[in-house]
Amino acid sequence: MAKRIPLAWLNLIHDRRRFATSLAGVGFAVLLMFMFNGFMNALYDSQLQLLNRFNGEVIIVNRLRTNMFVPRAFARRRLYQARAFDGVQNAYAVYISEVNWKNPDTRKSRVVRVIAINPDEPVLNIPELDTHRQALRLPETALMDTQSRAEVGPIEAGVITELADRHIRLVGTFTMGTDFASGNGNLLMSDQNFLRYFADRGPEEVERSFATVDVGVLKLEPGANVERIVKTLQENLPNDVLVLARDGENGFVIRERKYWQENTNIGFVFSLLTSMGFFVGIILVYQILYTDVADHWAEYATLKAMGYKNIYLLGVVMQEAVILSVLGFIPGVLVSQLLYQAAGNATGLFFQMTAARVINLLLATFVMCLVSGAIAVRKVQTTDPADVF
Amino acid sequence: MFKPQQTSQQFAPAREDLAVHIQHLNYFFGAGDLSKQVLFDISLELPKGQIVILTGPSGSGKTTLLTLAGALRSLKDGSLRVLGKELVGLSDRALVGVRRNIGFIFQAHNLFESLTASQNVEMAVELTGNFSSKRDQAGAMLSALGLADRVDYKPQSLSGGQKQRVAIARALVNHPKLILADEPTAALDKKSGRDVVNYLHALSREEGCTVLMVTHDNRILDVADRIINLVDGRLESDSSPNAFIQSKQGDPTDVSADMFIM
Ligand SMILES: Nc1ncnc2c1ncn2[C@@H]1O[C@H](COP(=O)(O)OP(=O)(O)OP(=O)(O)O)[C@@H](O)[C@H]1O
Ligand SMILES: [Mg+2]
Repeated sequence: MAKRIPLAWLNLIHDRRRFATSLAGVGFAVLLMFMFNGFMNALYDSQLQLLNRFNGEVIIVNRLRTNMFVPRAFARRRLYQARAFDGVQNAYAVYISEVNWKNPDTRKSRVVRVIAINPDEPVLNIPELDTHRQALRLPETALMDTQSRAEVGPIEAGVITELADRHIRLVGTFTMGTDFASGNGNLLMSDQNFLRYFADRGPEEVERSFATVDVGVLKLEPGANVERIVKTLQENLPNDVLVLARDGENGFVIRERKYWQENTNIGFVFSLLTSMGFFVGIILVYQILYTDVADHWAEYATLKAMGYKNIYLLGVVMQEAVILSVLGFIPGVLVSQLLYQAAGNATGLFFQMTAARVINLLLATFVMCLVSGAIAVRKVQTTDPADVF
Repeated sequence: MFKPQQTSQQFAPAREDLAVHIQHLNYFFGAGDLSKQVLFDISLELPKGQIVILTGPSGSGKTTLLTLAGALRSLKDGSLRVLGKELVGLSDRALVGVRRNIGFIFQAHNLFESLTASQNVEMAVELTGNFSSKRDQAGAMLSALGLADRVDYKPQSLSGGQKQRVAIARALVNHPKLILADEPTAALDKKSGRDVVNYLHALSREEGCTVLMVTHDNRILDVADRIINLVDGRLESDSSPNAFIQSKQGDPTDVSADMFIM
């Protein structure tokens, strides 16, 4: 029960108001890091929401489709060819196109992305498809993404408006989320309906038919060797298509993420902003620790006169730094969680607070406080006990 | 290793009966052209158990002498033995060790506002490693200074005199053989200043420790066994309190015997 007096802790909490302000300061720096880091990850993660729904182990796209934004289709017969290979159970077609959607309230047109599949095939892992399969088979029906931007207007079942200047009726919703290529939202419909809207859209628009496919999804037989099949298909299918595993280091999903990482300034800008949060934190915590040392200068010098070594006082300052980092992190992470939800709802982006990201930022906060502590201890070190007399 | 041996040969050998033994001490502030000598050839013997008051005009070097005896500054010239240990030529690290055997009392109490009276005193006990008995030791020392009912008070709810007594408890709790005090009553009113000195006097008699106290406060000269006067960095006089007062008689601005309230 007899322990060392927790001087660092007692000094910190002595002035309750100052302690609360200090924690709020650290929490604010944590919040800044979480928000900037969160936006960066959300922008990347959002690009993958559709890709992660593809119900197959292997993906085929046009070789020129370097990312989902590029509207390049490939010949549908490649899917039939692929299906003939050993280990391939089925090959599904996904049709994607952008088109104007008329907000039924404002009558203003907004671009949405239409994703079309055969409703009788398990092409996408979207649970809402099961409930609405029957309705989707009817002509001129679709499901709207609940994460679509507010600009598309009401989206509940029964809404009737125009898509590509033709009549359309919503029969329900599904939840996925927007990305750079999705415009104001995602609309899900059957391939038959897709043909109705896109087969003949006038002279300026590309004509769509079942002859070309945007994304091919290959379902493999259970236990099939994904890597080997991908390799075989790559070698045997004509060069106009690209065959990739969906998951894994060289997979389709990672490729998409890498594309956005390497071809945009998102990473640079948001990393810069995140590190600004980091440095704001260092300055804040340094200020807090420095003030503590300066205010207790005579007391610390007295401890030195009594025979306390420098290392003890360094320990006190570093303990204060650690306490501030841990206790400031908690409000920071809690408020960030709320803001992630709010930002996700406002933007339709996919804000995800994974354990790894929380731990990373906790470590960053920890380092932030240690750096501040390391700068502030110099003040203690130079404290000369002879000066207290 | 060679140099200290050589210098010690010039000085008298260590004596068991002395708490502080200063011989031919010179001290300079600054270095090179800016160096300024503040202590000149000081030689002083403080026997164990004595209460010695150091007086002198402002700037005469009293505080400097105190910090040297307290191992708070390193020094190169002369010989300064504190509790049998030669401080001249000691490393900073070794000086820290010497300090643990000395009790310091400052003009300001320098207590942590965040700690209770007891905890402030316990900070000193923790240096000795007696964690299990620290609370009892602190409590006993605070009681001896008349603060038994203030043990768990924070400094902000104590009076100036009480705070200074807590500071004294902190200085005395490890039973140091030497106490160095620099104007411990300067920040206190007459009554609490007197109280503080009385406690200090009683405790040092009980513990048999040596006290070297700087003060301008003529009202407390009576607790001293001996009064040393320092002027411009030189020892001017070294006498008993009565002789000191006699010597100052006729100087109306200075001490007079009726200031004593013994
Ligand atoms: N850190 C320092 N650096 C340079 N000079 C100093 C330093 N400390 C004190 N001095 C000088 O040394 C001389 C002695 O100072 P000291 O503080 O020992 O005097 P004092 O007798 O305690 O005076 P007072 O009664 O005013 O406290 C003074 O001239 C002072 O200006
Ligand atoms: Mg002084």
